[in-house]
Parts: sequence; C-alpha cells; structure tokens
Amino acid sequence: MSNNKSNKSKMLYTFFAWLISLAIFFPILWTILTSFKTETEAIASPPSLFLFDWTLENYNKVMQQSPYFKHFWNSVVISVGSSLLGLLIAIPAAWSMAFIPTKRTKNLLMWMLSTKMLPPVGVLIPIYLLFRDLGILDTLGGIVVIMTLINLPIMTWMLYTYFKEIPGEILEAARMDGASVGQEILYVLAPIALPGIASTLLLNVILAWNEAFWTLILTTVNAAPLTAFIASYSSPEGLFYAKLSAASTLAIAPILILGWFSQKQLVRGLSFGAVK
Amino acid sequence: MATNNSKTLARMMVTPAVILLLIWMLIPLGMTIYFSFLDYNLFGDGENKFIGLLNYEFFLTDPAFVDSFFNTLILMTGVLFITLVGGTGLAILLDQAIYGRNIVRIMVLAPFFVMPTVSALVWKNMFMNPVNGIFAYISTTFGFEPIDFFTHIPLTSIIIIVSWQWLPFASLILLTAIQSLDREQLEAAELDGAGKFCRFRFMVLPHLSRAMTAVVLIETIFLLSIFAEIFVTTQGGPGNASTNITYLIYTQSLLEYDVGMGSAGGLIAVVLANIVAVFLMRMIGKNIEG
Repeated sequence: MSNNKSNKSKMLYTFFAWLISLAIFFPILWTILTSFKTETEAIASPPSLFLFDWTLENYNKVMQQSPYFKHFWNSVVISVGSSLLGLLIAIPAAWSMAFIPTKRTKNLLMWMLSTKMLPPVGVLIPIYLLFRDLGILDTLGGIVVIMTLINLPIMTWMLYTYFKEIPGEILEAARMDGASVGQEILYVLAPIALPGIASTLLLNVILAWNEAFWTLILTTVNAAPLTAFIASYSSPEGLFYAKLSAASTLAIAPILILGWFSQKQLVRGLSFGAVK
Repeated sequence: MATNNSKTLARMMVTPAVILLLIWMLIPLGMTIYFSFLDYNLFGDGENKFIGLLNYEFFLTDPAFVDSFFNTLILMTGVLFITLVGGTGLAILLDQAIYGRNIVRIMVLAPFFVMPTVSALVWKNMFMNPVNGIFAYISTTFGFEPIDFFTHIPLTSIIIIVSWQWLPFASLILLTAIQSLDREQLEAAELDGAGKFCRFRFMVLPHLSRAMTAVVLIETIFLLSIFAEIFVTTQGGPGNASTNITYLIYTQSLLEYDVGMGSAGGLIAVVLANIVAVFLMRMIGKNIEG
C-alpha cells in the first residue's frame, strides 16, 4: 500500500518536473524548430510545433549573408585563448596560496575577487581610448587580453578552492622522498588537480564565449565573435524569425553541447567551493 | 630553510597575477578619475579644460541618473528574488525521485549556456513581439489584448529575460546543496512529528544559506552590469524606462562622445558597486571560509 502511495507521488513529481523543465527549455527548443521553417511558417498563426516542411534554407542564407565561420573561429580563439592564458597565470598563484599560505593570503584572495566587482563601465573609456591609440580596436589579440584579465580573479578563486582540498601531507611525503618542486607539481599535484583545472578551463570558456559587453564594444568586423554577429540581427532588417533562429542556433549549439557534457564539473566549480 | 625557500617561491608565483590585476585596476581607473575632471568630448576642440567637479554635478543631477540608479536596483533585486525563490522550489522538486531526472536536469540547465544577445533577441522577437510573438498568440486566442512588452513594461520584460538566464544556475547550485543534506536527520525529525513546512523552514533553509550566499554573490557581479540584454532589445527606452547605470554611461560616453561626463558616471558606478561589494564580502567572509 505504501508502495502504491509513493509510486503515485513519484508520478506527480515527475509530471511537474517535466512540465516546468519543458517550459524552461521551450524558448531554446522553439528557436531550433523555427530555424528549420520557412519565413512564412515561422510567423504562421496558429504556430505549428513539428508538422511543417523542414528546410535547411535558412542555414544556407545565414552562411551566405555573413561569414559565420569567421565569427565562430573568433569566438573559439577568444574563449579558449583567454582561458588558457588565464590558467597559465592563475595556476601558480592559486597553487602558492593554497599550499604556502601566509597571513595575507585571505586578504589577497578577497582583493582579487573585489576586482571582479569593479563594473566594466568604470574603465570603459580608458580601455576604449587605449585600444584606439594602440591600434588594437577590433583585433583578436586585444580582446583576448581583456578577457584574460576579466576572468583571472574567478579562475584563481576556483583553482584555489580545488587545490585547498588536496591534502598537504601528500606533498610533504613527496618532499621527504626528495622530490623537487618541479617534480612535486608534475608527478604529484597535476594528476590530482587535473579535474579541477579542467572544470576551471571549461567554465571560463563558457563565460568568455557568452561575454557580451567588451566584445560588443571593442569589436566591429574583424574580431567580432558570435555575440556581436547575433547582435547585428537586432536591427529591424533582422525581423526574419527563421533566419534569426538559424543564426541563434548556430551561435549557441557549440557551447550548449559542451556545457551539457560537463554539467557536473561546472556546478561545483561555479559555486566557489561553497557547495560540496 | 625549506620554508624560507618555498616562501620566496610562493611570492614569485603569486606576483604575476597580482601585478596584472593591479595594472588592470589602477591604470584605467586612474585615467577615469583624471578624465572625470575634464571637459573632454571625443570630437571637441581638444582643449580638455579642467572643470573640477562639474561633470559629477551634471551627472548626479541628471534625472536620467536617478532613473537608471533605481532601474539598476530593481533589475538586480527582481532577478535575485525570482531566481532564489524559483531556484529553491525547482531544486526541491528535482531532488525528488522522478523519472528521467537526467533529461530534466539537462533541460533546466540549458538557458545558462545561451549567450545574452541570443536570449534577448529570441525573447524579444519570437515571444514578446506584440504581433507575431507567442505570448501575443496566446492572449488573442483567449480573447485578450496582447501586451506590448517593450513599450509598456520594458524593465519587467528585461527582468523576465535575465531571470530565465539565471534560474538554471541558482537551481543547480541549490540542488547540489540540498543533496548534501543529512537524510537521517530529516527522517528523525519527521518521526518526531515535524511537518513538511517545519522541516523546510528549520532544517533545509538554514542548510541552504551558504549556497544562497554563493548564488547572490555571483549573480550580483553579473547583474550590476547588465548590458547586452538592453542593447539588443529596448536600447534603454522608452525614455529612460529601461536604462541601467551601465547603459547610461555607455550612451553618454560612446554615443554622445562626452568622455568627461561618462568618466564621472563610471566612477559613481564603481563607488555604488563597492558599497554592494563590501556588504557581500562580509557575507562570504562569514559563509564561505567558515
């Protein structure tokens, strides 16, 4: 009898969970579906969910109209480049703060996080003018540097929370056995720390891929990533739903897939170790 | 001896990060402070006269500033409220035994990966458009007048879009926290006659406080400087109805070329953010390190 009751409640919870999650997912699903419709069907009333003539025409048009692959490549360079560069700087910093803490370590960490609280508009004009005067407006190199600096505090924090969970005794044991610092990092620390580093990298790739303040302001044509490519559809000319949907699908698909595959690591990393 | 060595090494390893962040903070910020005292227009005569605190006076007495200040606050608290309440509810629901939990989780998480420009455009055109949008279709089907979202309730519309983007994040962090709850304790409380509400209020909620702090902190960082969602939908309008501080400064400095005023605004934004930051840092200082 109680089994029957718990079965009933399971069905009920399942129903609500699916209802709500479908509602949350619906805008994305709808965008993907619309991208395969013709423009007429895209604004048809009543709208059809699956029963329409599927077409790839919009994807063709979007690719012809604007160099999608160039923007895609820019997004890859910006997000992966800035994340790797960031790791290079953040790993040593986080490592030393986690394993050789001093009295000032906690304050240093707080200060790093506080730089993240600096609103980008506070430095908008100087950065814009510096970029203009150095001639690096709309260049990939310039935007990669900015992205690295923006995400450096978050990377350091994330890595720090991962590293802090590695027991110091392991390192001491290695040291006793005569391992040098280099060996210590390479053979002892790296294998344990790799999952943490990987999820830091992933999260930062996603954040940089979706960043839409500096990328919109500092790029126009050459270095414009997908965020800027999509923003160009905000003009009235972009009121073609099917084409807009195709472009949107192309812009979000890579990161959506990457994100789904790595969701478990992401959640832990994102909470700064506040949630185990 | 080894400790002395390793301390030097430790300092060397932290130095690049610290120096870079110092440069990143101090140079542009110093320039912003300097510009904020000048009568500096990008297409002006190039004289850039020193005008003292005039830029600040103009910025602070501009009615647009008051509007955008409150819009920023409403946007932030609105989204925080929706995502925390909705996220807690969703986390509790997803914590139950349900069929297809993995698929449900993947669907709930999805909006987090959608870039702001895409989600804003999709919502604006395909959902909130008063003629062809899905919401318009639903209201006309039931015989109601369609709502013209971005004309009549621009700020609310942006809150809806941004909440949709951040709800997954809040739910997933809170779900992870709920799953670490001590089940035996909950069962013991149930046996002792504690009702559902009682257990939620006195056991689940306190357990979630750390995770909630993390959610508030991280969301606030991003919510204070929302830009793309406004940029591709309302452009701050109608009037200043959906202009936040970030967008106001963007229009003044890069659309009206008033570098001096934009800089003064930027500094005021920094001060305001710092007030929020100090408050938040106290919270994490207590909650995360402890």
